[in-house]
Amino acid sequence: MSDEVPASGSPQPSPAQRATSTSTCLASSGTPEEDSSRANSRRYGTGTPILTCIAKFTWETFVLKAETLMETAPQKSRQTPRADSDMAPAQLYSTMSGRLFHSGRIAIVMVGLPARGKTHICVSMARYLQWLGVKTRIFHLGDYRRATVGEGEDVPEDYFFPNASPASVMLRQKILKKCREDIYAWLNHDNGQVAIYDAVNPTASGRLSLAKEFAKHDVQTLFLESYVDDENLLRENARNVKINSPDFEGMDPDEAAKLYLRRIEMKIPIFETMTENELNYIKMINAGQKFFYNNVSFNYLSHRIVFYLTNTHIKSRTTFFVRAGVATEEESFKADAPLSEEGHNYARIMCETILKHREQERESLKEKGGPDVPLRPLSVWTSTRMRTLQTADPFTERGYKVRQRSQMAQINPGVCEKLSERAIRRLYPDEVEKHELDPYHHRYPRAESYHDLAVRLEPIILELEREQNDLLIIAHESVLRVLYAYLMHCSTTAIPTLKFPRNEIIEIIPAAYQNEAKRILIPGLDPRIVPSSPEGVRITVPGESPALFPGGGLNSPPETLEGLTISPGSSAPSLVTSPPPQRIVSTSKEAVEDKLLDQD
Amino acid sequence: MAPRANGIGVQVEDTKICVVMVGLPARGKSFIAQKAQRYLQWLSIDAQTFNVGNYRRTEAPHPSADFFDLGNAEGEKRRRAAAEAAMHDMLDWFRQGGVIGILDATNSTKERRKWVLDTCTKEGIEVLFVESKCDDETMIMANIRDVKLTSPDYVGQDPEQAAQDFRNRIKNYEKVYKSLDEDGDENDYTYLKIMDVGSQVIINRIRDYLQSRVVYYLMNLHIRPRSVWLSRHGESLYNLDGRIGGDADLSPRGHQYAQKLPQLVADSIGEDRPLTVWTSTLKRTISTSRFFPENYNQLQWKALDELDAGVCDGMTYQEIKDVYPEDFVQRDEDKFNYRYRGGESYRDVVIRLEPIIMELERSEDIIIVTHQAILRCIYAYFMKKDQSKSPWMNVPLHTLIKLTPRAYGTDEERFSADIPAVSTWRGKGSTAKHENPTPGANI
Repeated sequence: MSDEVPASGSPQPSPAQRATSTSTCLASSGTPEEDSSRANSRRYGTGTPILTCIAKFTWETFVLKAETLMETAPQKSRQTPRADSDMAPAQLYSTMSGRLFHSGRIAIVMVGLPARGKTHICVSMARYLQWLGVKTRIFHLGDYRRATVGEGEDVPEDYFFPNASPASVMLRQKILKKCREDIYAWLNHDNGQVAIYDAVNPTASGRLSLAKEFAKHDVQTLFLESYVDDENLLRENARNVKINSPDFEGMDPDEAAKLYLRRIEMKIPIFETMTENELNYIKMINAGQKFFYNNVSFNYLSHRIVFYLTNTHIKSRTTFFVRAGVATEEESFKADAPLSEEGHNYARIMCETILKHREQERESLKEKGGPDVPLRPLSVWTSTRMRTLQTADPFTERGYKVRQRSQMAQINPGVCEKLSERAIRRLYPDEVEKHELDPYHHRYPRAESYHDLAVRLEPIILELEREQNDLLIIAHESVLRVLYAYLMHCSTTAIPTLKFPRNEIIEIIPAAYQNEAKRILIPGLDPRIVPSSPEGVRITVPGESPALFPGGGLNSPPETLEGLTISPGSSAPSLVTSPPPQRIVSTSKEAVEDKLLDQD
Repeated sequence: MAPRANGIGVQVEDTKICVVMVGLPARGKSFIAQKAQRYLQWLSIDAQTFNVGNYRRTEAPHPSADFFDLGNAEGEKRRRAAAEAAMHDMLDWFRQGGVIGILDATNSTKERRKWVLDTCTKEGIEVLFVESKCDDETMIMANIRDVKLTSPDYVGQDPEQAAQDFRNRIKNYEKVYKSLDEDGDENDYTYLKIMDVGSQVIINRIRDYLQSRVVYYLMNLHIRPRSVWLSRHGESLYNLDGRIGGDADLSPRGHQYAQKLPQLVADSIGEDRPLTVWTSTLKRTISTSRFFPENYNQLQWKALDELDAGVCDGMTYQEIKDVYPEDFVQRDEDKFNYRYRGGESYRDVVIRLEPIIMELERSEDIIIVTHQAILRCIYAYFMKKDQSKSPWMNVPLHTLIKLTPRAYGTDEERFSADIPAVSTWRGKGSTAKHENPTPGANI
């Protein structure tokens, strides 16, 4: 059952090469082509044998860990330097090659006319797969076309025509060839596992030959068609995504959408929806209303993708993150202590703040001329730990539905329970050393790593995608870190250090290609209960009280992490009025920014 | 304060779903229905199958094919009455708090489906149609021979004649059978249509997470033959002391078991075929699996770690009784739901094992080397053991269990390694280390 490719076959990069490639990404300039070639010369090391029992910990594996498992399109590397330090938060296990051993190498080939939401599907699917630990990369054919014909230039009129002129056919071939060569190079030499090939792929014959060609390179294909026959949906897609183009400036949005759709029809006169019985394909109809799949040889990932896609929906709803209140026995994980008096006080103020905020948002929407609609219902999720349950009490009293999920319990500190940093250093010097090398994957004896936590939270992620109500998640900071990282596409290396001070509510608002996060200040809290958990040597369960960690929290300088700017100074209780919520845009936006104007 | 033993599993809010099977006879409907019921019950979601055939059978125990002819007014009336009786009982069951009811019948006409949908909708119950459609004649006849001839309808009849009768019975259904949304006028229904055992699938209008879970589970089912081998780790030093939890090393006898295990497994497979080995992340399971041949893939899952005993980790039962007498009593009163202070309950373990079960359903041959509580939960899933009993089962050390899932139920074989080990079983109320299990505890 194993189709694992031995790692020994792939070239091992030297550390020097790696160092160069990393700095290249941080440096930012060059034409798309240059960047693209640079990106392709980058080497991606073998994944770390996280769950393999003989995980030898060497400098080599450490460096490799710092390498990325995920990438954005080649041209985008200049905009998203952080993507290069990304790894997979919820990788179930990994192998020497970094691939899921029961899945092999896969090309997911998108099929569908422009304005069918293909790019949206690509981006969210890639985010999910990367989070699962699958090395995934999107190859937008449009990027290659632009790089070939030149920025701002248009392809010949007959470019998509079945009876195109020889010159257009040549051009088409050249662009396709370059894109496919990059895909093979990445799959063969960079240990890539899933290449998402984003293009129109309008004809059955083209798709059949594509599948054949991939098979020749030992790559399985899974076609994913986005098919829309609902006129309203089509027009809305066109309106939301395409009419920002300068071509349509000043036009009535509906008119612009119609014009845009007509143009597509002119440009791509032939489109055949998928019916090829010999191919593996998923047809997503009207943005997830219906799915059809033709399973010739579906594997693990194909099924996961179907499950994921059936749970995503485009409806906008908000997710709030808040911390649990302070408990009476802060240092102990095992005690599972109830809230202290300040804890109850916090719960009350937090609840009032959040309800007031929702009401205000509704009012301000109305003022801006929005519809006068009632608020979406709010569901509250907690873990089964005492402190999160009790923090939800004010909501229960007001009649909100509170659901408990045992998967959302905080990270288990294992042997570090109740130990001070000094004691841990003294008792487990080897473990401390390993932990400092890789705070995301390292697991203290009997403890959970952040990676373990992410795997445990995976079912929650899918449920979160499916939820239609607004959602408030009350959890320990360690859990918030992992969930936030999924929603905002943060790198795994950043996860252990994300900060969620207790006086802030994080509000996450979904948008077409990226989520946005806002911070809402909870006024009037005792500054001693505000700071986030300590990081560094300790995994962060016990001891959230600042008394134990005078160096953390309040006195530390402002830090910027993944765009989440936290300035502890602002948490002083004197600040009663809420500052305007700050907007944080996730990095995945840049990855698709100019796709908004793209036609495939 | 919330009670310690707060029996809250996968919550489904107020969702109630009627899963309505659709399809001609011998298409594996009952197989799907009973798998889904087992999966949901194991997750503590209250699920129950209502088989219309059983209701009809009480009226007409050995009907001939004519009975199923639409022209047979008497037969039609009886079948209608059976459907109504099943529906009536199902609605009653929903009113008493049932969450997912499975209506197992052919439901092969649009009229019948509309009737089911309307009746359920009136009661605020969501309807998820699940159709199994198959036109492969060999597969159908295989199914008839394997499954249907053991049906109560054909007790004591000649097999060939029975098979023919059954085929005729299907023909009567075929006359009126309409596949889901075949005419495009059932497009508003929530449904899953599985064609030719999953080679084509349509998923339509999934409305909530629970529906998508059921659908995902059904998509992962396969009917290729395979087995799952289960073993506890070798005897550990904590086992000798009668301590729970911890991350102890193996005892000398435990090491002996580790050495013998690969041969035990190889003998049981009977051929030279590599397996995939799953272990927990604790020393004792990794150590137990260290002698498997190199061509076996080995994976460590955090989800397979032993039940977390929280504050009681590393204690003997006598110590627990001394230090936490109330907890000790509470746990014995409701062992499945009792959550150790700062630790886990069996219910929590089941929830964390859910992805493992999903993987197991999808996978082929696997050997799992894990711990007592985890093994009890996995075993309970396959062998349909009740929650109130499974935490008390005796799972001896140094024994390999082979489970082979079949269409209806699971076959079990055991292989003892003949290496002595202490018993870690404990009866209700007892604190004794090394107690001999009562006959009732043996599974």
